[in-house]
Amino acid sequence: MATISVNAPKARRLTLKRRRQLAGVVFALPAIALVICFIGIPIGQDVYYSFTQWDGQTATWIGVSTWSQAFHNPNLWTALRNNGLLLLSVPFALGLPLCIAVLLHQRVAGWRIFRTIYFLPTAISWVVLGLVAERFFAYQGTLNSIIHALGFSHFSTNLLGYQSEALFALGITFIFTMIGTNTMLFLTGLATLDPSLEEAARIDGAGRWRIFRNITLPHLSRFIQLAFVMTVIALFSALFSLIFVMTGGGPGYATTTVEYLIYQTGFNQGDFGTAALYGLILFVITGIVGIVQLRLIGSNE
Amino acid sequence: MGPVKKPRRLGRWVLFVIMMFVAVIMLYPFWVMIYTSLKSEGQFLAGSGFSWVSWSSLSSVIPIGQEVLSSTIVCASSILLILIVGLPAGFAFSKLRFRMSTGIFLVMVSAMMVPLQAILMTEYVNVSRLHLTGGYTAAVLVYASLGTPFSVFLFSTYFRGVPDELIEAGIVDGLGYFGVLWRLVVPIALPAIATVTVLQFIQIWDDLLVGLFFIQNTSDRPITVGLAVLAAGRTTSIPELMAGSIISALPAMLVYVGFQRYLVKGLTMGIDR
Repeated sequence: MATISVNAPKARRLTLKRRRQLAGVVFALPAIALVICFIGIPIGQDVYYSFTQWDGQTATWIGVSTWSQAFHNPNLWTALRNNGLLLLSVPFALGLPLCIAVLLHQRVAGWRIFRTIYFLPTAISWVVLGLVAERFFAYQGTLNSIIHALGFSHFSTNLLGYQSEALFALGITFIFTMIGTNTMLFLTGLATLDPSLEEAARIDGAGRWRIFRNITLPHLSRFIQLAFVMTVIALFSALFSLIFVMTGGGPGYATTTVEYLIYQTGFNQGDFGTAALYGLILFVITGIVGIVQLRLIGSNE
Repeated sequence: MGPVKKPRRLGRWVLFVIMMFVAVIMLYPFWVMIYTSLKSEGQFLAGSGFSWVSWSSLSSVIPIGQEVLSSTIVCASSILLILIVGLPAGFAFSKLRFRMSTGIFLVMVSAMMVPLQAILMTEYVNVSRLHLTGGYTAAVLVYASLGTPFSVFLFSTYFRGVPDELIEAGIVDGLGYFGVLWRLVVPIALPAIATVTVLQFIQIWDDLLVGLFFIQNTSDRPITVGLAVLAAGRTTSIPELMAGSIISALPAMLVYVGFQRYLVKGLTMGIDR
């Protein structure tokens, strides 16, 4: 092996490099093709069809008037407003898991069992959680039983039945469904925290709150950012199952979010063009959140 | 030391009580499902009594066996496809860099952020025109394309840790790039494969949207679609719906409890290093 002439390795390395690149292209191609065909092309089509009158069969180009029509449609604004109001649940969807993770991190007796219990609902489909939530908020559901048991027997709620309250019930359900995932994220973050730091601060006489504010929280910032992005993306793109099962978007349009409006406009009203346009709007919204996420990953590497 | 210990022990008790309280809330869905499924519709409406009626009549209301089978087929095929295209691509983007591979990789990773709803209409029309909605084909392709960006990201991050010498040694030994991938890289990547499999299993098993729109025949319905359609119809008895929910929840829960650490690894991939 050592007797190979001086020139040979160089030439060989060159062809090797080329062969390696070729192998790289061949290996990456199936994944690229799949993503282009089923994600890339449909986005391009979204743009085209958003300028057309389209029933799924034939599309007629009508230009920007679809856009002006869509933006004059009160349903779109209602949906955007509903998404906006649901954003108010995000602090709770992050804060509660943060508290739970900190509690778990104290490692009281049986914390492993508690951890498994807290994570368990994450395994269940949001279809099923929606079914359970619907039962919870229903007129003859658990919530009213609790209220009556507390002594307010003359007071009953029917959150899902009223336009002004249904979104609130959806928001509560959303917070519940996010608790497991976010707790898991924060707990992972806490596990990477060097305990000697906290110990040192404690010896220096820092109180619990100060240790949490000045050591724990900054350490968790990256995990909190990730949880924030994941929660917001879920809020815009994962509520479909909950809405489909709990309210069907109603009463009226009270719980219709943008993603649900796409489904209603396309499949219930057969207006594929406007639905494609709404899809594009959703794409832009999640795209903005996605750029934040990429920054997050990028800043770390 | 003495006086310090006492409040601490009290604090532990308070903590324990709070944690029990949270546990009750988190277990609430399971309690509702089990409790409600053990009633007949009449007992449910009356609010008292228990029976097995809803369980024994379940299969006549929901084709539960068929639906679980559908879910299993769709899950297994999608995950297999994700691994088949994801493993080589992850290997290529981390170890077999080619021209523009970094740029393509970034675009691929950003595709992770595209929600299906954003492309629902065009996707639906496309697969219908290609006549793919008949069996499971369309659903499997859509699930696979949605799961591929994340798996490529995860695999390439993982493969970055594989030493170049190992790959070169394999090439010198005449394995070829495919041989290197299959015989040397894949065996090292088993934890990453497990992470992708577990994450995708739970995602796909629990999903509603794809099954609802991309599987045309009602006889091919996955379990989540079966439950959601019945629930939205509001004519089915709730105890039976809950019994079906338990069956749909069990597989994902078992996978979840058994493979928790792979899940955690996958979720924090990219920031936890």
